[in-house]
This record gives sequence, structure tokens and C-alpha cells, in this order.
Amino acid sequence: MVYTKKSPALFIIGVIMLAIWYLADAGMLQPYLDHLAMGKKYKYMAEVTSIPLYFGIIAAAIGLWQWFGSHKESNWDYYSSTIAGGMFILLIAMLVRWFVAPEVAVISHAMGKVGDTGAYIHKLLGLNYVVLGILTGIIIVNVFKIPEWAQNGVRLSRLGLKTGVILLGTLYSAAELKNLGGLSIVMIGFFVLGSVGMVLWMGARRHIPNSMGGVLSAGMGVCGVSATVAAAPVVQAKSVEIAYTIGTILLWGVGCMFAFPIIGNLLGMSHVQFGAWAGTGILNSAQVAGAALAYQPDGIETLKVAEIFNITRVLVLPIIVLWLAVWYVKREESVTQTVNVGRVIFEKFPVFVLGFILLFALSTTGIFAPANHYKGKYFNNSTDFKEKNLLSAEQKGVITAEFDKIQRQDRKDAVSRLLENGKIMSIADDDAIRGLVNAKVLSKNADKILKGAHKAVRHTAKKIKAFRNWITWLFAFGLVGLGMQITVGAMKQAGGQPAVIGGIVGATKAVLSLIVVLMLVSETV
Amino acid sequence: MTEEKPKYDRGSALSIFGSDRREDFMALIFALIIAFGVYITH
Repeated sequence: MVYTKKSPALFIIGVIMLAIWYLADAGMLQPYLDHLAMGKKYKYMAEVTSIPLYFGIIAAAIGLWQWFGSHKESNWDYYSSTIAGGMFILLIAMLVRWFVAPEVAVISHAMGKVGDTGAYIHKLLGLNYVVLGILTGIIIVNVFKIPEWAQNGVRLSRLGLKTGVILLGTLYSAAELKNLGGLSIVMIGFFVLGSVGMVLWMGARRHIPNSMGGVLSAGMGVCGVSATVAAAPVVQAKSVEIAYTIGTILLWGVGCMFAFPIIGNLLGMSHVQFGAWAGTGILNSAQVAGAALAYQPDGIETLKVAEIFNITRVLVLPIIVLWLAVWYVKREESVTQTVNVGRVIFEKFPVFVLGFILLFALSTTGIFAPANHYKGKYFNNSTDFKEKNLLSAEQKGVITAEFDKIQRQDRKDAVSRLLENGKIMSIADDDAIRGLVNAKVLSKNADKILKGAHKAVRHTAKKIKAFRNWITWLFAFGLVGLGMQITVGAMKQAGGQPAVIGGIVGATKAVLSLIVVLMLVSETV
Repeated sequence: MTEEKPKYDRGSALSIFGSDRREDFMALIFALIIAFGVYITH
């Protein structure tokens, strides 16, 4: 089978990318970019004037070869044929991130803030480049169909997501796992085991086949599609049951991906709270990332917390597979084929999780950022501190006038030292001042000054910044491709009992985890 | 999903690779290349 299509599509994609670069670099797009920036500086300028140039040249060159070259069946043909689809996804991600999402924000701003929420509708609905990219993918696959020349490349999206998840390990250090690891393990353990048990119990009451219940419980409890595939041989699930489970997970996950950010915004959840909730309540790794990025499109703190919870959940997979194997053998007296649990776990355990742990270990050694870095940021009020960031007399006056509003002694002490020295003097002081800002005790003006003082002593390592960019693009790429795999047919497959059980268990988990998160998780990034 | 291959004689409907394990290893290789690139250029 020859996969490469003799089509001008990839060449045209390359030309479009080069045109975007040229128009932006020559300043011809400036009036439009100014319109998108709404009076501020257009924040994607550096990206628009570089990324389309590099990828445009690659796409145009390979596109010419694909269009006019001769192609034979080979490994090279198979893998190079994915470039057209990959570039197609990348172009959509570029258009959505740089133009469509900002345009939606402009329209949203023109409509004004929504009621008492104090937020614009695009923020409440999470209509940023991530969600719009997935929506574009869904529209393309269901309305226009994926062009034949792009179909092979669309199957690269999961590779992008997995690569992104592995690279997330670079952003973590052992220090933050001390704060989050224990909580994530307790929460995930409780909710994974609870979900699996609930699906198995409901499945028995509603008389669905054990194989269906088994595979659905893994999918609903652990990590979506990977867990479904991993658990399938243990419970001897049929193809249609796997498809039903995946359909249920995707349908539920799509709903969560859109609903969670809206609820999070309405409740005013912190990044850590939302990340913990999404990582616990949403089933599919990609959809966890989608919801987290939708909630915080301009930062990665939410995504990182969600991924810690998500990764913890993935690590539970071997235990669940073991449990299901034992459960299935007990339920099915007529099992004829012996299942080697150890072998199934060994064969199905997701290696990308080990990759994440490997890069996490490397990051903990301090090779990507100073050893004391926390979420890629580190405290330094001496060598990296700029003197122009010292508090002015006027700023000190604003803080001093409101000093009596501060109740906690640690915060009083920290602010006193800040007023005395003009800059934050220690990590503990910085934490106390961040807590003071988050508590909204002082006026907006005073909080703004304190935030400025915080930023002045917190620095982001250049390597970590580069990793963040890579991760953002890999996820954008993967999620646009994910949208292209969500067909109406797959959603319809979720109908019937699996969807009912999945919906009840999913909703229960989402509500209970929300309550637990709101009660137990209070830290704000 | 992996056992249904209506359109491709390689990989699955969700991946160009023949198995999840191979896709995981490829993702790991890409991630390490990116990490090395970031390490030496920044």
C-alpha cells in the first residue's frame, strides 16, 4: 500500500504558512494584529514572525516532492506521508491560536461582562485556542471529513500528546511533590477505586456483561482509552465493548472538558484547585489537559497540577488491572482462556509515564533550573534582582496606609521587611505576601504593588520557559488532532447502558471530587 | 481499537504505530531529543 498522495495540499499549506510569516514580518498584518491585541501589545508576535517561516519552508519543500515525486511502498513512504496531515493540524493550531481565539476575545469584550461574574463570556465558556482548536477539529471531521491526504497524519496527534506529557516532567521538582504528591495519591486512590467499584456494582445490577462492566470500569476509573485497552484482554472484552467504552469516555470527557472550566470560573477556583479537580474528575489524559489549558490558557500552573493528579491515576493502572483480573475470574466460571496478569501489566503499562518520571528525576537534579526552583520559578533577590524594581516611596506609602488591615503576624512581618528593604527578603516572606494578595484583604492598588514585588524576586529559568513553549505547542497540536477523531458516530456509540452507567459514575466522581477539592485544597499558585 | 484496522495496513485508527508501546517509545525519544536541544541551546 502506497500512503503518500500525489497532491498539492502540503505545498499549498507551506505557501500559506510562508504568506502568514511574510505578511506579519513585513508589518502588513499590523493593523489587524493591533485590533486583536485590543490596545495592548500583540503577545504572539515573536511566534508569528518565526514559526510559520521554518515550518512553511519544510512543508513547501516536502510538498513539492510529494506532488511531483514518484512514491513506492516503503517505510519512508509510510512515515513521510504523515507530514501532510501533521502540517494540516499545525496550520489549524496556528490559525486558531494567533487569530481565531483573539478574535473571539475581541467579540466577547464587545459584548461586555456577564452579569455579576465580572468576567467576559469567552472566559466563562473557556473559548480559547485549545477549545476552539478541538471544536475546529470536530467540525472538520464531521462536516467536511478529513481530506484523504491528511488522514494518516491525524494519527500523529496522540504521539504529540504523549511527548508533551513526558516533557511535563521537566517542569516538576521533588519540592512540589512534597506539597501535592500526598494529596493526589490519597484523592486519586479513593476516587479511582471508588469509580471502578461503582461501575462494577452498577453493571451487575443492570445486567451488562462482565466483560463490558470490567472494561468500562477501567476506562471510567483510571485513565480513559489507555486503561480501556490495557484492561480489555484481562476481562476478555469484545471489540464492540471496547468501542462502546471509548465512545462513553470520549462523550463524557468532551462534556467535562467544556463544563469544568465554566464551573471552575463560576466558583472562582484557584489554579491548584481546578487542576486537582480536573485531574481527578476527567477521565481521558488529553481531555484533562484540554480542560486545564482552557481554564488557564496563558499559563501552565493548572495543567501541571492536573497532570500530577492524572499521572498519579495512571500509576494506579497495574493495581486496577490486577483487581479486574481477579474479579473477572471470580465472576466468570466459564473462562477458558488463562490470563497472565503479570504479563498483561508488563505489556500494557504506558512507557510514556516512565518517561515523565525520568525527566522529572532529571529536573530534580537542577540541570534545567536552579536547584531551588519551584514550578520552574526560583527565588532570587540579589544577583537576578533589578534595582528599578525596588518599591518607590509612593508605593511604600500605599502599603503603609493599609498596613492595619493585615491580621496575620507572619504577613505583617513579611510586609514590614518589604517596606524596610524595598524588596521581598525571603521565600517565606514571598509565600506570606502571596497569601495576603490571594486573601484580598487589601485594596486592588495595594495588591498590584505586592504582586509586582513578588514578580521582581521570582524568575523563570530560560530552559523551563522553552519547555513550556514546547509543551503548549505539542498539546495544541495533539488536541486539534484529537478533535479530528471525535466523530458523531463515536459519540452515538456511547448510547445505552454503558452511557447511563458511565454518566452516573462520572457525575458522582465529578461532584464528590469537587467537594473534596474545595474543602481540602486551598493552596493558590 | 487496536484490532480494528479498516483503512490502514499498519498501526491503528488512533496511531501510526503498530502498538502503544512503540508509540510510547517514540514519544520518549522525541521528548529526549527536545530536552537535549533545550539543554544545549538555552
